[in-house]
Amino acid sequence: MIRLVLLLPLLLAGCTGTTGSEIVTFDAYAAGPEDAAGPGYTFTTSRGYTVSLDRLRLQIGGLYLNRSVPISGGQERSCYLPGIYVAEVTEGLLVDALQPRPQRFPARGSGTRDRALTGEVWLTGGRIDALSDPTVLLDTAGTVSRDGETFPFEAQFTISDNRRPAVVDPARPGASPLCLLRIVSPIPTDLTPSQDGSLLLRIDPRPLFANVDFEQLPLPPSPGAPRRFLDREEGQPSVALFAGLRSALGVYRFSSPP
Amino acid sequence: MPINEAGNLHGNGYADLHFIIPELVEGLRVIEGPFDPRQGNFAVAGSASYELGLRKRGLTIRGTAGSFGTRRLLLTWGPPSGSIGTFGGAELFETEGFGQNRAAQRGTAMGQFEGALPGGSFRVGATAYAASYRSAGVLRADDVARGRADFFDTYDPRQGGDSSRMSLYGDVEQKRGGITYRQGAFLIFRSMRLRENFTGFLLDPQRPVQQPHRQRGDLLDLSVDTITYGARGSASLRSQGPGASSGVELGYFARGDSTASAQLRRQGVPDVPYLRETDLDARLGNVGIYGDVDLRVWRRLTLRGGVRGDFFTYNVLNRCAVAEVRQPSRENPPGDASCLSQQDLGRYRDPTDRVSASALAWLPRGSVLVGPIDSFTFSVSWGTGARSVDPVFINQDRTQPFARLEAMEFGVSYGRTFEHVEVMARSVFFQTKVERDLIFSETAGRNVLAQGTTRTGWVGALRLTGDFFDQAANLTLVKSTFDDTKLLIPYVPDVVLRSDSALHGELPVRLGQRRLQGALASGVTYVGRRALPFGQRSESIFTVDASATLQHQGYELGLIATNLFDRRYRLSEFNYVSDFGSASQPTLVPARHFSAGAPRALFLTFAVHLGGTP
Repeated sequence: MIRLVLLLPLLLAGCTGTTGSEIVTFDAYAAGPEDAAGPGYTFTTSRGYTVSLDRLRLQIGGLYLNRSVPISGGQERSCYLPGIYVAEVTEGLLVDALQPRPQRFPARGSGTRDRALTGEVWLTGGRIDALSDPTVLLDTAGTVSRDGETFPFEAQFTISDNRRPAVVDPARPGASPLCLLRIVSPIPTDLTPSQDGSLLLRIDPRPLFANVDFEQLPLPPSPGAPRRFLDREEGQPSVALFAGLRSALGVYRFSSPP
Repeated sequence: MPINEAGNLHGNGYADLHFIIPELVEGLRVIEGPFDPRQGNFAVAGSASYELGLRKRGLTIRGTAGSFGTRRLLLTWGPPSGSIGTFGGAELFETEGFGQNRAAQRGTAMGQFEGALPGGSFRVGATAYAASYRSAGVLRADDVARGRADFFDTYDPRQGGDSSRMSLYGDVEQKRGGITYRQGAFLIFRSMRLRENFTGFLLDPQRPVQQPHRQRGDLLDLSVDTITYGARGSASLRSQGPGASSGVELGYFARGDSTASAQLRRQGVPDVPYLRETDLDARLGNVGIYGDVDLRVWRRLTLRGGVRGDFFTYNVLNRCAVAEVRQPSRENPPGDASCLSQQDLGRYRDPTDRVSASALAWLPRGSVLVGPIDSFTFSVSWGTGARSVDPVFINQDRTQPFARLEAMEFGVSYGRTFEHVEVMARSVFFQTKVERDLIFSETAGRNVLAQGTTRTGWVGALRLTGDFFDQAANLTLVKSTFDDTKLLIPYVPDVVLRSDSALHGELPVRLGQRRLQGALASGVTYVGRRALPFGQRSESIFTVDASATLQHQGYELGLIATNLFDRRYRLSEFNYVSDFGSASQPTLVPARHFSAGAPRALFLTFAVHLGGTP
């Protein structure tokens, strides 16, 4: 007993114990699919179109990993809520999604050593809650062919006033903020950030174009010119490509390579 | 007169001590733990009692000037023939403060009159205090490391506060028939406003009922106005027998607090409030009675203890009872209003709600002392206490509107006077369990109720007093854990060391007929690395303060240095989520924040004493 009493001050002075978890920093990267090799990346969609991409760039504003899985059919969510994120990459990167080589984000990511179950890709050039943002978030061009017909196409998408949802309920003017359109979520994932580890986002072009019916694209003003996707919610091809851009399943995949 | 503020929204039990002029403090009596039945609400680790008085009689004018544009003028007076309990004093203080946004101004006045009654004495006094200050708040460590902010910068120059306190008090003490009666009363008017921003632009997500907006800013604008009134009284009987003595004291303490408090959020540009988070009008009552027995059953065995009962009442009007509504009215949409007059589906309801609750706490306490045996005295103490909860946490008929706590300690003290040196030393092991502790919340901007905690530790103290020196040092080691997870409590230091040293006496220099009096003093503070959330530790704090004083007849010249070695340190550190625009996108994972400690400051003091004692 006396020995315990004598030792107690020494034990207490040892700054023992922890409050739990750990703060970590890591490098973050984004890349196209492993089998991409630059311009000319070709694949066939489920609608039977053979797409050859010459350019596919995405403006990623930020990456976030989230500890919770949203409840399907749950109450309306805010764009983001403090207290649920375990990792973030807050400096943006213009990603060439036809390059398989990881492209490093300009600043390291940070987070806590907690398990993440969902991921978020923030598609924005300004702040996520900006009321307007002229930044081109998707910039793509290529050629498409089906049944012997081939034509070029290109698309440049923004998320700004052009996509602001109409207010349906006057009592809820803020029910559909633009920031919800800019955030792709929830992307299923299962990883735990680690100190000096890495976070890799791979972007797969195939599901991006999976449901696009290219034949419905408006004809170009002059023969041989590319058919252009509309930068608004109008027409099947533009709506489908924008839905692909915002698809949480298939297009985006997080991993933590060694 | 109580200092702790019941019902203060910033912190229930918050104590602003700036209304006390240090030169008018004659003594400070600290009682550890809830071991004395006189200790009431908020006495968790202990209680402190300030005894006011002015030993230096006559008139004194003291001026101080120094670093960062700091200036202070202090006037004190006390009639030479009166007791030290009769005095007056007033001060004005201003500083530009170090770094950015730390200017402050203060005015304080205190007066007290102590007189004699047949068989007793009486005392009446008044205090007045008002202050206004700017605050730099916290900085993110990553912003400082990357050069986006300087160590002493601020993110939001609107931070700061205003504080005032006016009080009247009086008490009477009289001895009749071997019983000493005491009766006192007090009346306090208190007001404070606090503007703080811990999280930047984080806590204002777009809600469906609101007009589309960006994050508008998290600056808290908290205000509290309180009137406190009450009384305390006691009667004590002491009897002396051969080899043993005993004492009994019966007493009460009663106070009422009438508070109006509100907390708003202000947006950045323009600087206007956009959200009312809290708006309370509360009437709090606390009546405590106690019986205390002090029994010296044997020359070396003393039993002390008794029972205290505290009755707490709450009557709280919430003026902002409805903040959200499902499916609001389409015809009368609530928009961005904070305090709604709708319930679900848009039906009307009054925006206010009233709740009341009360509870009684029985709090037994006791101590056993054995000694002195060869100058050593051994003691064991145990006690239970109570801390009332913040009115914001009160629900209708809440069965227990207070947190119960239990504390125990055992230790040994040593006291002996040698030829020229008086030695006092203590070694105490302690444990305190709090049923629901208070933990800092950056989103609320204050401490909020959390789960139960236990603190186990040791305190060692040593004091050596001689003819020309005084040395006091104490060391506290503590381990603080949550009862459910056994994880450490954030922000509680494991190790705290404080040492105060003083040399004083006549110098071998004559000026006229008398020798110069001189004094040197130093204070050393060490605070160990505090546990922070997410498994991290803060940096340690080590500062040295020093002063030198020369005195000749009625004149005094002093030089004071704080943080003598100009160590750059973080006064407080936190790990939490904030968004101060440090990155292109919101920062949503925890990061290190700190508030800067003061750099070295030098102050010159000159005082003139007229009349009375030099």
